Amino acid sequence: MNRDVYVIGVGMHRFTKEYVPIRDMYFTAGVEALKDAGIDFRDVGYLYNGYIGGTMMEGTGYAKDLGLTGIPVVHVENASATGSSAFREAVWAVSGGASDVAMALGFDDMARMGMARRKPAPGVDRRVPSFENTLLPAGFFAMWAVRRMHEAGTTVETYAKIAAKNWNHGRHNPMAQRRADHEVTAEEVLAADMVAYPHTAMMACASGAGAACAIVATEEWAKKHANGRPMVKVTASQLCSEVYTDGHIFMGAVVGPAYSTERTAKLAYEEAGIGPDDLSLVHVHDAFPIEELMYYELLGICGPGEGDKLLHDGETQIGGRIPFSTDGGLIARGHPGGPTGLAQVWDATRQLRGEQGKIQVEGAQNALVHMMGAGSVCAVHILQKA
Amino acid sequence: MTKRVPLEEGYMVIPESSDEPCRLLGSYSKAADKHYFPIRKRCPITEKDVETVELSPVGELYSWSFIRMPKMGSRKVDSGGGYGVGQIDLPEGVRIQSVIDGEQEDFKIGMKMQLVANPMYTAEDGTQYCGFKFVPVKEG
Repeated sequence: MNRDVYVIGVGMHRFTKEYVPIRDMYFTAGVEALKDAGIDFRDVGYLYNGYIGGTMMEGTGYAKDLGLTGIPVVHVENASATGSSAFREAVWAVSGGASDVAMALGFDDMARMGMARRKPAPGVDRRVPSFENTLLPAGFFAMWAVRRMHEAGTTVETYAKIAAKNWNHGRHNPMAQRRADHEVTAEEVLAADMVAYPHTAMMACASGAGAACAIVATEEWAKKHANGRPMVKVTASQLCSEVYTDGHIFMGAVVGPAYSTERTAKLAYEEAGIGPDDLSLVHVHDAFPIEELMYYELLGICGPGEGDKLLHDGETQIGGRIPFSTDGGLIARGHPGGPTGLAQVWDATRQLRGEQGKIQVEGAQNALVHMMGAGSVCAVHILQKA
Repeated sequence: MTKRVPLEEGYMVIPESSDEPCRLLGSYSKAADKHYFPIRKRCPITEKDVETVELSPVGELYSWSFIRMPKMGSRKVDSGGGYGVGQIDLPEGVRIQSVIDGEQEDFKIGMKMQLVANPMYTAEDGTQYCGFKFVPVKEG
C-alpha cells in the first residue's frame, strides 16, 4: 500500500430476521460508524456501498440520508465477499491517495434475493432453472463435508461442535441474529432438522437482514480521532479470483477451490509481514461448519488433517489459542450478504481496541478476516493493533 | 415416441434412441491437454482455442449429499422427502455437480454413475425439456 490505512470507525445495525426497512438499517450503521470515528459525513471523501440484492442506485439513494456532499458513491458486488470488497476499495482509495477518509457500507436482506434471472432461450419455460442454476449452495458445502469425512475421518460431531461454539460466541454479541438463551450443545445441533447431510439447520448460517459500516483513513486522521483508544491498522488487503486446479468446477461455483484461501492468505501474510502464529483471532466464511474446519488448515493455523484436533482441544473458542468466529460467525451472527464482511471488520476492530466485553479476546494484537464470494473470489484482510 | 430435448443448447446431447447414452458437451484444449465443463469460449489456462467434445457418460462419485430442502426454483420438498446431489469425476478429468438418483444409504464414494436425461417439463406439443442427472450404475 502506498499510504498506511487505519480503521477509524465501525458501526452496525443488528442482523435480524425481523422486518426493518433497509433504509433505516443503512442509516443506523452509517451514523454509528461516523459517531465511533468522531467525524461528520462531510469528512468522508469516498463511499462504497456493498449489496447483492437490491435495485439500481439503491445504496446511492440511502446515502442521501447521510448527506449530499457530492463525493463519489459506488456500488460494489462480489457475492458473500461484497462487504469485504467494499472495504478493500475504501482501503485502496485512502492508500492510493484518492481520499484521506473513505467509508464502506454494506447492507442486504437475504429474503429478497432470488435465483439468478436471465433471459431464457426461445421456447424455454422461465420457471425452470437453467443448467447452471440447479443445485443449492447447501448441497455444495455438504458435499465438501462428506468428502472430508471420507478423506480424514471427520465425524458429524466435529461439525456440530463448531456450530455450537459459534452459537455460543453469538450469545454475547448484541449485533448477532441468533442469540440463544442457553449454552448450546453439540447434541442440540445434531438433533436439529437435517438440511443437507451431514449438516443440520443449526449448522447452516443464519439468513436475515442487516447493515454494517467501516470508515478507514490515513494515519494523520487516525491519530487525530483515536480519542485515547488503540489505533487499528490495515496491514494486509488481498482479493483473489480463481486459478485452475484439478477438479476445477466452473458450474455452480459456490465452494470454490481450496487453493483460493491458501493463496489469498499467503499473499496477506506476506503483505502484513506476519504468519498464522501471530494471529490473535480469525473470522472466516463459516456458512457451514465444514468451511471453518477447512480454513483452520488452509489459513495455516494448523497442518493438513489437524483441524479436528485443534477444535476438540478448544483452541478455536474464545479463551483458546486462536479463537475463530468470535462474534458468532455466519452461523450465529448471521449472513445477510452485503454487510457480512463488514460485520467481521466491526468485531475485529473492536477486539483490537479491547471493547468487546464478554466476547473479548484478551490481548488481541492481530485479526484476520476472510470471506469467499460464490466460491469465485476470496478476500483476506489483516488488522493490527497499532 | 416422446421427443426429448435439452433445456438449453450447448450443454448436452440427447440421442433420439433411448438405447444410446446421453452425453455432456465440454471443451477440450489441445494446448493445455485439459477438458472443461461447461463449454468454454477459450482455454482458461493458455487462452488458446478449444474444441467442443462429447464427454464420457459414466464417471465415479467423488462426493455426495442428500438434501432435504426444496430444489432451486421450487418451494416444495420432493414427495420422497429429499433428493441426492453428487460430484462425479469423468475420465476426462472433469468434475460434474448434479442431482443424483437414489436414497442416502445408496451412495458410496467411488461408485460408478451414469448420465441420464432428467425431464424438467413437457411443452404443449409434447416435447420434453430435459436437464441431466446421474444414476448409479447397476453392478453386473
